[in-house]
Amino acid sequence: MMPPMPDSKILIIDDDRELGEMLKEFLAPDHLDVSARLNGEDGLQALQDETWDLLILDIMLPGMNGIEVLKQIRQDSDIPVIMLTARGDDVDRILGLEFGADDYLSKPFNPRELLARIKAIMRRSRSDEKRGKALTVGSLELDVGSRRVSAGGKSIRLTGTEFELLRCLAESPGKVVPKEQLTQQVLGRRHMPYDRSIDTHVSNVRGKLSSAGVDNPSIRSRRGVGYLLLLDVEERR
Amino acid sequence: MRSLLIRIFVSFWSIIVITIIAAAAIGFWYAERTRTTIENFEVSDAVLEASSALRENGREGLTEWLRLLPGAAESLVYVVDDQGKDLLGRRLPSIVKIPVRRMGEMRRRPPPAKHDSRYIRPARPFTQLVGPDDRVYTMFVLPPRNITTRWLVDKGRGGLVLLALLVSAMVSYLLARTISRPIRRFRESANAIASGNLDTRVAESVGKRRDEIGLLAQDFDHMTDELQRAWMQQTELTRNVSHELRSPLARLRVALELARRKTGDLAELDRIDTETERLDELIGRILEYSRLEADSHEQRSNIILDEMLHSVVEDVRYEYGYQGDKASIELEIDTECTIDGYPNALRSCIENVVRNAVQHSRDDGDVRVRLGVEQSQAVVTVEDQGGGVPDHELDRIFEPFYRSRARQAEVSRPSGGLGLAIASRATTLNGGTITASNTANGLSVEIRLPIRKRY
Repeated sequence: MMPPMPDSKILIIDDDRELGEMLKEFLAPDHLDVSARLNGEDGLQALQDETWDLLILDIMLPGMNGIEVLKQIRQDSDIPVIMLTARGDDVDRILGLEFGADDYLSKPFNPRELLARIKAIMRRSRSDEKRGKALTVGSLELDVGSRRVSAGGKSIRLTGTEFELLRCLAESPGKVVPKEQLTQQVLGRRHMPYDRSIDTHVSNVRGKLSSAGVDNPSIRSRRGVGYLLLLDVEERR
Repeated sequence: MRSLLIRIFVSFWSIIVITIIAAAAIGFWYAERTRTTIENFEVSDAVLEASSALRENGREGLTEWLRLLPGAAESLVYVVDDQGKDLLGRRLPSIVKIPVRRMGEMRRRPPPAKHDSRYIRPARPFTQLVGPDDRVYTMFVLPPRNITTRWLVDKGRGGLVLLALLVSAMVSYLLARTISRPIRRFRESANAIASGNLDTRVAESVGKRRDEIGLLAQDFDHMTDELQRAWMQQTELTRNVSHELRSPLARLRVALELARRKTGDLAELDRIDTETERLDELIGRILEYSRLEADSHEQRSNIILDEMLHSVVEDVRYEYGYQGDKASIELEIDTECTIDGYPNALRSCIENVVRNAVQHSRDDGDVRVRLGVEQSQAVVTVEDQGGGVPDHELDRIFEPFYRSRARQAEVSRPSGGLGLAIASRATTLNGGTITASNTANGLSVEIRLPIRKRY
C-alpha cells in the first residue's frame, strides 16, 4: 500500500467555468485538488504564484490561445501538461505535443480517461524520485533521480514525458522498443489506433538531441514496430 | 476613347468610310477612263482613217486598216460586218456579241414604212461605217481589259493599296484583341474559381481599363469577394457550431460520471455515455470536413504512400478487431510509391474509405486495399463485399450525409454520413480524383493521385 500522500495540486486553464467546477468535484475523491483559471493570462499568473503538480490546458481559449500559453510555460518550467483539444483538430494536437505537452485528450473527454492519465503522469513522477540511478549511453548521460540529461557536461532540457521516453529507450540500447510498450510506460495508457503521440514525442527528443549536437546515440525507427536508441560502435573520433 | 462602344464605333466606321471612298474613287476613275478612251477613239483620226480606207479600197481596205491598227492586237477594236462577223475573223467577246445579235434581229424585221421613216435610222450606240457597196460595218471599241491591274501598277498605287490593307487589318486586329483578351482572362478566372480557388481576381490585369470591360472586371471581383466571404462565413460557422457543441457535451460527460458515482452503474447511464460518444464523433467529423472545405493549413510534404497504407490498415484492423468485427483487411502493395501532398488530409481520406468499406462489408466479407501505379498516377483501390450501391447513386455517395437506401440498414455507426465526403474533399485537395464503381458483390472505391515529386 502506498503511504497516504498530500493532495496533488492541479491547475485547469479552461474558459468553461462549469466544467472546471464539475471536474473539481469529480477529481476530489482521488486526492486531487483542482483549481480553475478561465484564461491564459490568469493561468500563467497562477503558475508563477504557486507550485502545481499538473496542468490541464484547453487549446481553445479566449484571447491568448492554449498553444501560446504552452510556449510561455515551457520557457522555464517542465510541469506535466495535459492538453484538451477538439477532436478532428489534428493540427492543434500535433502542435501542442510539439510545443512540449505531455499528453492530450480530445474534448469532450471521458472523465475517467482524464483521471487515468493524471494518475499515470503522477505515478511516473513519483516513482522516479525513488530510483536514483544514472544511465549512460554513448555521450548521453541520464540522471534518473533529478531527471536530467546531459551530453559532454552540457545539459539538455526535456519535458517529463520526453525524459521518460528517452529513459525507456536508454534502458535497452540497440533493442527495438515496441510502440505499445512505449505508450504504456511513457504515457501510462494503452496504445490506440490513429494515435501519433509517441511519434511526435520521439521527434521532439530527436530535435533536442540534434540541436545539442548529440549524434551518437541516435533514435531510429523500425517501421510498424517501434523505436530504438542506436549506438554507433564504429564511431569516428 | 475610353468607352468600348465609341472605340468599336469609330474603328468600324473609319474602316467603312475609307472603303467607301476608295471604292468610289476606283469606280469613278474606271468609268472616266473608259469614257475618255471611247470618246478619244471616236473623235480621233482613226475613225476618219477607217472611213477613208473603206471608201477607197472597200472591205479589203478596211480589213487592212484594222490589221495595222495598234489596238487590234489587244482586241480592243472590233469591226463587224452586217453578217455579224469580225473582219479579222476573231471570236467576238460576249460584250460585243449581244449588240451584234440585236442588230441582226432588227434587220430581219420588215423595214419601216417609207413615208415617215425614210431618213430615220434607229439610234445606234456604236460608230457605223457604210461602205461603197452599202454594207454597214460596225466598230466596237472596248476599254483595255487589264485596266485595273495597270492602274495598280501605275505610279506605285499598289503600295498604297497594300498599306491600306495592312492598316485596316491592324486596326481590326487590335480592336478584336482589346475585346478578346480580357474575355480570356475572365474565362481563366471563372474556371479557377469553379475549381475552388477563390483567391483569383481579374482586376490586376484588366481592372485598369476605364471602359465597360474594366467595370465588369471590378464587378466580377466584387462577386468573387462576396462568394469568398460567404464561403468563409459558412465554414467558420460550422467550425464554431462544432466547438460550441462540445462544451455542453464535455459537461454532460462529467455530469454522467458524477451521477454514476452517486447511483452506481445503470444500463441507462451506459447508453447515455454511448450516445454522447457518437454525437461527439459526428461533431468531430463535421469539424474535419469543414476544415478540409476551408483550406488545409498543412504543409505539403513527400508522402510514402505504401507506408501510409500499411499504417492506416493496421489502425483500422486494430480498431475493428478490438470491437469484435469479423471482417478482415487484405493489403496488396504492387509497388512502392511516393507522392507530394498534404499528409494528414490524405491519411484521413484513406482512413475514411477503408473504414467505410469495413463498416459495409458483410460479417465474413473481406476488404481489399490495393496500391498500384498507372502512368503517372498512384491508384489506391478499396473493395468491400457489402453488396454495392445502385448505379445511379454512385456519384452521390460522396455527398455529405448521403446514405444509400440499400446500405442504410447495415449502418449503425454515426460516421457513415461524412466519411466518404471527407475522403472526396481530401482527395481533391491533394489534386486527385475519387470514383466509385460496383463489383460483383460490393463497392470499389478508387483514389487516383498524381505522382509529383517535390524538388
